[in-house]
Amino acid sequence: MKLPSLRLPERIGWRDHVLGASMALVYVNWLLVTVRDVGVPRDEGVYFRAATDYVGWWRMLLERGHDALQQSAIDGGWSVNHEHPVLMKTLFGVSWYLLHVKWHVFADASTAFRLPAMCTAGAAIWTTYVFGARIWTRRAGFVAAALFGLMPRVFFHAHLACFDVPITFMWLLCVYVHWRAQERRGLGGTLAWAIAMGVVYGLALETKHNAWFFPAVVVPHGFFVHRRAILRGLRVGRVTLPASLVAMAIIGPIVFYALWPYIWNDTFARLQWWFDFHLHHEYYNIEFLGRNYFGPPSPKSYLPVMVLATVPTVTLLLFFVGAFDRAKVGARRLRAWALEKLDRPAGDATASDPLETDLLLALALGIAIAPFFLSKTPIFGGTKHWMPAYPFLALFAGRGFDLVGAAMMRALPDLTGRSKLAAEGALVASVLVAPLAVSAHACPFGLASYVPLVGGTAGGAGLGLNRQFWGYTTLNAAIEYMNPSAPRGATVFISDTTWEAWGRMQEEHRVRGDLRAVGAPHEAQIALVQHELHMNEVDYSIWTAFGTDAPVYVVQHDGVPIVSIYRRP
Amino acid sequence: MSEEHGPRYRPSSPAAWRRWAFAAVPVAGLLELGAHAVQTHSVARREDWEAARAYVEAHAAPDDLVAFAPRWVDPIGREMFGPSIATLQREGRPDETRFPRALEVGLGAAHLTELADWQRGEEHRFGRVRVTTWQNPTPAHVLDDLVSLVDPAHLRVSRVDGGRETDCTASHAAVQSGGLGYGPAIPGERFSCPAGGFVGVSVLADLDYRPRRCIYAPAPGGGSVLRLRFMNVQMGRTLKGHHAIYVEAERDRRGAPVSITFKAGTSLLGSVVHHDGDGWKAFELDTSDLAGQRADVVAEITAPSGDRRQYCFEADTR
Repeated sequence: MKLPSLRLPERIGWRDHVLGASMALVYVNWLLVTVRDVGVPRDEGVYFRAATDYVGWWRMLLERGHDALQQSAIDGGWSVNHEHPVLMKTLFGVSWYLLHVKWHVFADASTAFRLPAMCTAGAAIWTTYVFGARIWTRRAGFVAAALFGLMPRVFFHAHLACFDVPITFMWLLCVYVHWRAQERRGLGGTLAWAIAMGVVYGLALETKHNAWFFPAVVVPHGFFVHRRAILRGLRVGRVTLPASLVAMAIIGPIVFYALWPYIWNDTFARLQWWFDFHLHHEYYNIEFLGRNYFGPPSPKSYLPVMVLATVPTVTLLLFFVGAFDRAKVGARRLRAWALEKLDRPAGDATASDPLETDLLLALALGIAIAPFFLSKTPIFGGTKHWMPAYPFLALFAGRGFDLVGAAMMRALPDLTGRSKLAAEGALVASVLVAPLAVSAHACPFGLASYVPLVGGTAGGAGLGLNRQFWGYTTLNAAIEYMNPSAPRGATVFISDTTWEAWGRMQEEHRVRGDLRAVGAPHEAQIALVQHELHMNEVDYSIWTAFGTDAPVYVVQHDGVPIVSIYRRP
Repeated sequence: MSEEHGPRYRPSSPAAWRRWAFAAVPVAGLLELGAHAVQTHSVARREDWEAARAYVEAHAAPDDLVAFAPRWVDPIGREMFGPSIATLQREGRPDETRFPRALEVGLGAAHLTELADWQRGEEHRFGRVRVTTWQNPTPAHVLDDLVSLVDPAHLRVSRVDGGRETDCTASHAAVQSGGLGYGPAIPGERFSCPAGGFVGVSVLADLDYRPRRCIYAPAPGGGSVLRLRFMNVQMGRTLKGHHAIYVEAERDRRGAPVSITFKAGTSLLGSVVHHDGDGWKAFELDTSDLAGQRADVVAEITAPSGDRRQYCFEADTR
């Protein structure tokens, strides 16, 4: 029996989008299946409230347009959490209103709030696949997309109605659109991609302030791609600029301004405040190698160590294989260029890439991580603040996989047909199965989870690496102990969890509704400590307040304490 | 056939290694998976902890130290061993010098660095939990521990403002505590001063976030003095102690120094100063002239400013 041919046309097209969308769909479904065990962190509670306000204003605009456009109504609707722009919070709110309030698709309001961010995770996987397929091969794109989604920290953050995964997607999409915009086309095509670039950059600005750094990726790249045309123009006294960069500079700010009603009034003062807030951001603390960092100087080893400790090792290995290959190609081109300048034969000069893709990928990765080597950059976000670099790390890993696959075929030239297919399948499985296992096991304690290279969760604890922040594990304390065992109506000191987060989890019947949150151990019958180094002081206060240092239950992940639960004797 | 035995196909040749170098990637992937499986399945079980607890309960003397290693496993150790073995005195110990022996309950190969100079004794394994006995080569003999004398029968507290001394009365009130940033809980059993301030036994998070059971006596600041008179203390050759300020009040290194002056009767034993950044700072005062006698030990706490001077100390005679 002959199998039907599954061969795809060489040109990347709609079938690839179907494949990318399918990967995205699987991923979003996986997130939906696991989301109920992930508690509500501090920030999310605030974003839920903001989202509700924002969608309320939009409804007001539809119902009473004139009233909604008064400054008092705008400020009333958009003041909550005005330190961050509003694209995602608006989407969270729309999703909540339509899928929870109106159509009852999701019983949990939090799942409806979280869905848009989950979709951006799926969209990032989709884009990574298509990008990788266009740059390298479909196989590389598939492996890159899968390795990106199977980074345990990405998988954890993808559950949350926050901005870190959305800005990762927007950063990737901006790079992709910019790359496509550099292709030679007719006027219509060039204009369309340039406008797309402007719109997408505006949306990125509207997502999170990481987008401020984005020009550092595309401006040098765009100028380098068009260097000859720019120089030719300058020689005749004409300034030639890449259309996509012009569109980005004009359309981007317009989109940004149009989507954020809060800055429609007192625009410059409010923008100045926004800049100042992030340029002088408070330093929250974070534990690193057993020491709590409360402020600058941030350790320069933080990013490399955390990447090694949280990104699956096989992914990093493939990244190094792929990045080394591209660096070699770049070095060969540089050598050929230098020899050409010296009027010497260039030898085996590598064909140049008119889109300078390697440079673009390197800039997209490098600019996303560069701030974290500055001693003044706060590091309290752990790995989430440099996640925009991860799709590019994965793309290089995809290239590495291609090289490994090609080497395997050279080593096993006799493989054909099914045996070749099986060998390729086994190779794919060998690089995906560990990241899959680690990511799946990490949920819902994604921030406590570390890769096997450093000894897993226990290894991370032993190294003195942060186990969590935002107090989101109170949900797990409820699931494992409080819901089945707490006395009826018990008062609970919720420690690092916010009232909003606690209330949300109670409304959704994830935490028992009769339990009453209190703000101090001495007021409580049950007290929680979400283990972080600086939370030890709360632990010791409970010892004095309760007269005992023995918790009745400890929520653990792989034998590592996550939440201690005390009960007044 | 002949080619297979030729130099080109020798497995150890560089060409052969290069040919199979790709295998490093799938092998790394499978090793990572294997390591993950081992790490997630090598967690100590509840039965292991319970067996270790039964052993320690049967063998630990009241003056032995019982401690957990690595340090991060401490909450599980306290849960499994309970407050009768993982006592506040052991958990919030000032240091290890007073313990003649330690029963260290550990996972894997982890040991407490504080016991590195002690003599290692027998070791018992209970599944994945290990109990190691350590002998202190030079245990200190504590005569009186001032922390254990914080009660109305053994301590009088007063506050001196502008030369006027006012008694701080012993009271039984509700504990006062808070969340992050509040500072050590204010114990229910405390001496309360009419002009403000208190003294009681609490547990302080020191600069390294370690628990320290100590006498919580915030410095009043200005010209005021917080005076603690421990009565009828058995004196030895030294008065040894530690002092610290609550981590959140100390770590920025902006606070005023806190001084504590010790007197025995009317004679001055010595004075020590705690500066922000000192952490859990040890001190030792010579009391050899008073060795074998009983005396009232007076501790006077002062600071130029009382702003966030959440001061705590412990001392003993030995």
